Amino acid sequence: MVNYLIVTFAVTLIYFASAERLSTYVRLIALHGLLLCGIAVFELKEVNLVNLLFIIAETLFFKAMILPWLLGRIIGRSGVTRVHRQAVPGFYLLLFSIAGLLISVSLARILLNPFINTIYLAIALFTLYTGLLLIVTHQLIISHLIGFLVVENAVFLFSLAVGSEMPMLINIGILLDLFVGALILGFFGLKLKPHTNELTMLKD
Amino acid sequence: MFGSVAFLIIIALSLLIFAVSEPLKYYFTLALLLAGVALSGSWSIDILTGSAPAIELILFRPAHGPGFVLTLDSLSAFFVIVINITVLIGFFYARGYLAPYRQTKQNTRFSIHFFSYFWLWLSMLMVVMLRDGLAFLVAWEIMALSSFFLVIFEAEDRKIMKTGISYLIQMHVGMFFILIAFLLVYRSTGRLSFDALAEYFDGHHNLPLFLLFFVGFAIKAGFVPMHTWLPEAHPAAPSHVSGIMSGVMIKMGIYGIARVLASMQSDLLATGIFILVISIMSGLGGIMMALVQSDMKKMLAYSTIENIGIIGIGLGLGVTGQALGSQSLALLGFAGALLHVFNHSLFKSLLFFNAGSVYYATHTRNMEQMGGLMKKMPWTAMMFLTGSLAICGLPPFNGFISEYLIYMGMFYSLSDATLYISLLMIVAILALSLIGGLALFAFTRAFGIVFLGEARTAAMNHAGETTPGMIIPQVFTVGLILLVGLGSSVVVKPVFNNVMITWGLKGMPMVAGALSYNLSRISLAGGILVVTLGALLLYRRYHLSRRVVEAGPTWGCGYTAITPRHQYTANSFSGNFNVLAKPVLRTGKIVDLPDENELFPGKREFFTRSHDIFRLYLIDLPVNRLSGLLKKIAVMQTGQIRHYILYAFLFMLLVLLLSLFNII
Amino acid sequence: MTGFILIVIAALFFPGIILRTKSIASGRKGPGLFQPLKDIAVLLRKGSVFSISTGLIFRIAPSVALISVAGAMLLLPFSEHKAILHFEGDFIMFAYLLALGKFFMIIAALDTGSSFEGMGASREALYSMLVEPAFFILLATFAMFSSYTSFSVIFNHFYITGNDYVFIYSIIGAYLFVQIAMVENSRLPVDDPKTHLELTMVHEVIILDYSGFDKALIHMATNLKFALYGSLIYNLLVPAGWNTLLKIGAFFGVQTLFAVIIGITESFRARNKMNKNPKFILTLTTIALIAFMVILILTEKLV
Repeated sequence: MVNYLIVTFAVTLIYFASAERLSTYVRLIALHGLLLCGIAVFELKEVNLVNLLFIIAETLFFKAMILPWLLGRIIGRSGVTRVHRQAVPGFYLLLFSIAGLLISVSLARILLNPFINTIYLAIALFTLYTGLLLIVTHQLIISHLIGFLVVENAVFLFSLAVGSEMPMLINIGILLDLFVGALILGFFGLKLKPHTNELTMLKD
Repeated sequence: MFGSVAFLIIIALSLLIFAVSEPLKYYFTLALLLAGVALSGSWSIDILTGSAPAIELILFRPAHGPGFVLTLDSLSAFFVIVINITVLIGFFYARGYLAPYRQTKQNTRFSIHFFSYFWLWLSMLMVVMLRDGLAFLVAWEIMALSSFFLVIFEAEDRKIMKTGISYLIQMHVGMFFILIAFLLVYRSTGRLSFDALAEYFDGHHNLPLFLLFFVGFAIKAGFVPMHTWLPEAHPAAPSHVSGIMSGVMIKMGIYGIARVLASMQSDLLATGIFILVISIMSGLGGIMMALVQSDMKKMLAYSTIENIGIIGIGLGLGVTGQALGSQSLALLGFAGALLHVFNHSLFKSLLFFNAGSVYYATHTRNMEQMGGLMKKMPWTAMMFLTGSLAICGLPPFNGFISEYLIYMGMFYSLSDATLYISLLMIVAILALSLIGGLALFAFTRAFGIVFLGEARTAAMNHAGETTPGMIIPQVFTVGLILLVGLGSSVVVKPVFNNVMITWGLKGMPMVAGALSYNLSRISLAGGILVVTLGALLLYRRYHLSRRVVEAGPTWGCGYTAITPRHQYTANSFSGNFNVLAKPVLRTGKIVDLPDENELFPGKREFFTRSHDIFRLYLIDLPVNRLSGLLKKIAVMQTGQIRHYILYAFLFMLLVLLLSLFNII
Repeated sequence: MTGFILIVIAALFFPGIILRTKSIASGRKGPGLFQPLKDIAVLLRKGSVFSISTGLIFRIAPSVALISVAGAMLLLPFSEHKAILHFEGDFIMFAYLLALGKFFMIIAALDTGSSFEGMGASREALYSMLVEPAFFILLATFAMFSSYTSFSVIFNHFYITGNDYVFIYSIIGAYLFVQIAMVENSRLPVDDPKTHLELTMVHEVIILDYSGFDKALIHMATNLKFALYGSLIYNLLVPAGWNTLLKIGAFFGVQTLFAVIIGITESFRARNKMNKNPKFILTLTTIALIAFMVILILTEKLV
């Protein structure tokens, strides 16, 4: 069952590289939240019940519902144009994505370790790479934010890869998520400038 | 003994080319060529059919040193046959092609041309038959010089002369690398010869020496990024010369690399991966740049680079197979590479001869001006079509067979490979399929724009079919293409044996047997294809004869004032690819758009131009910087003798001062 | 032999089912299932008009296209019944035979001397070039999974392990085949077969100037190509263990489902912007690479 979720996760990452509109990004983030919830439920059976409930609550409510809703509101309120501008045309983004897939698989093999689940490691590396790609190749700050969210999902996956050994790591990852949520709330929820749709640099 | 004497006699007789009078000159050279081909051909066939393991002929043995000793083994025999076929066909073609030049060029020009042609063939033969390092380098140099003389046949055009000289310089750079590599071998083994390579590789690291040899040979073969001479020299040369240069002279580089690979013992995996990466770059880069050329022969030159990439992929796979101990991968990779050497010499020379026929008929190489030539030159068009189908690797022609072998090598090795090798194979498969798709794009463009549709300019009106003398040699090549394509299981057997002997792959008769079965099925499929197509076309003719068939203009979607200039040009056909590959191709548009205020805009011109980025960054940029620097120093060269005497006086003063102060 | 005949039978129904699905999805009743066949029969009765700009290539191209598709059909098996012609690496010949048909159609389009058709030819060449790697990577995964390299043998060795990943892999493979079939036959979202606006035509514009017998041949070739890919999907999804009657039923079931999916996609999906098409086709290659990763996991190279 987990395998379906993992493969779907990988496919969503490709979709990230080829999507055109910001609303698609928001839906994908929501989907990521759901998938991670599913993966967490299936993988972490040895963790005690309270911890498990906390993780499920975090992924399901926060990542899959609250965060996308917040993002949607920000995008709607700031009037950002639907098609996000990119510094690099979409075709090359996909080529880089392909390269990233191949590199992350080889890296996962190089870092072979009996304590780490290799498949998770490969997918986590690919997620990390995709998140960085989003940040580097896009101009709008909203896209940077979404890229950062993807990187966070990568961190979550990394912690799942070693999760059965170090359950505390997962909690730390989740706290990072909460921190970013606060960041979003703070920056955009309260201090909204009139021309946020042209926002490309943080100092603006 | 008889063989070497006969060979020496033929070589000596070549000097008489200058003495023979005009009309006989061609036939005299032809006779010499035929004699030489027959002689070397008989030796090669002896070796390939297994009646002799190796043949040695002593041409010239001085008191000290090895001298000129021709040694033929299976690899040399294979290349000898490849060289002979294409050179001979080229010379038959040349008779018709050179006919218009007889009025404008003097006798001496022709003498030099035929003499160089003969010596190019001879030096190529010697390159594959000489083992001694010094003799090899002499033959290599003769090859470069004779091809230089052939390229500058039309040296009245200053650009062609410049191209020829730049070609010569780059060839010498290559030779420099080979010389250094040989000297390294000499330094550690005391012998300057290919046979000493095995000894050297035993004791030292294989990779550095291989890299040196590779760079030297790759400049000749045309691997990216050492290909910069190819797209300049091939269009500049007359077409029969371009055909044999592209068809066989380039393969001498491949021969050299294969020779070095056959002696290598360690570092095989790194070598294999290195060759694969360079070949993938060559294959993709070559065909991408071919897609944006408007000059027909330049496009074919870039396509040669792409095919060299494919041959390199085969070689790289073979070496990787050797490294991994996978015998089937090694056999298939090397066999695919060697077969592609042969196939490419056939269809590329055919394509170049066709381009020459088109030039002969229309006096332009610019594809954008052509169109509708199929109605005027049907034979040439059909042969170009055959060449294009073969080069794209489509069944039932020969290109498919060699690409099939290379693909099979990759697919066979996928199942037991480790992760890294699987990833490498997938990247290679991705690259090879992309190269195949791009080749299809490029050659539909070439064939469609040049031969189909309507003529784009009035220059096409006086085009007509070329003489039968030019057509018949090409038909012969088409026959060979079909022979290899449809009769592959028979033709490929000697190639397999060759590979097994050269690279010492034992125990492979089972794989070779299975492959022969597969190839015979492919031939069967090809045969069925041709027969059913014929039947369908016959039925179609019958069907249409019973119905009303009319003629009319092409549907113009309601627009009635269509001119042939409305058709797609070559650059617009590949325009959508251009947009995707902009960073690599760097095409630029030069256009002076009308002003907004200009009420009656005058005539404007529009150019597109593409840059070869390797040439741009590797050659043009450093050369320009260097000449900028040198220009500043050139201020001292005033041309007046009193300044020079002043310089001499100043120098003497300087020496006096320095010696006074005891510095010197 | 069985496979060949079944594909021909499926091809008879295929376009009819697509048309009917699209009509029902638009709220109409739609033409009968055999209407496309009747259209082909009408075309066979008619004469032809040839343009004065065209030459030999224009006249032989549809025949070559049909023969290449028929040749590709010879290579496909039906579960464990081997194909008429099978040898190792026959899938390479499969891909290149289809490319042969495409080569001729593209140059025939250039033969008409119309800028319209040149545009279609240019787009067709680019898209078929971009779809090649996806197909070959998929084939490579087949070869890697079953360690065999012939269509007739590969599909028999698929359901050896009852692993989860095999099912995922089959789903991805089937999805890819559906998409590749839609790209190669120029259906939505790459191109809209119903539109005749030059902005959006790829395949339709290539066959614009054909009439009569040649047009019938082209329609036949397109239908056979659809059934061809449907047969591939069937071989991928249905295990070899069932009894023959059930398998034939499953074959037609898969083909019908394929046609219905194409019909529904065409009814509800908008056409891509033309310059976004290369990116769309490249996503197919990326998904093929994901399938490759799945196979890597399956064959335990990436533990």
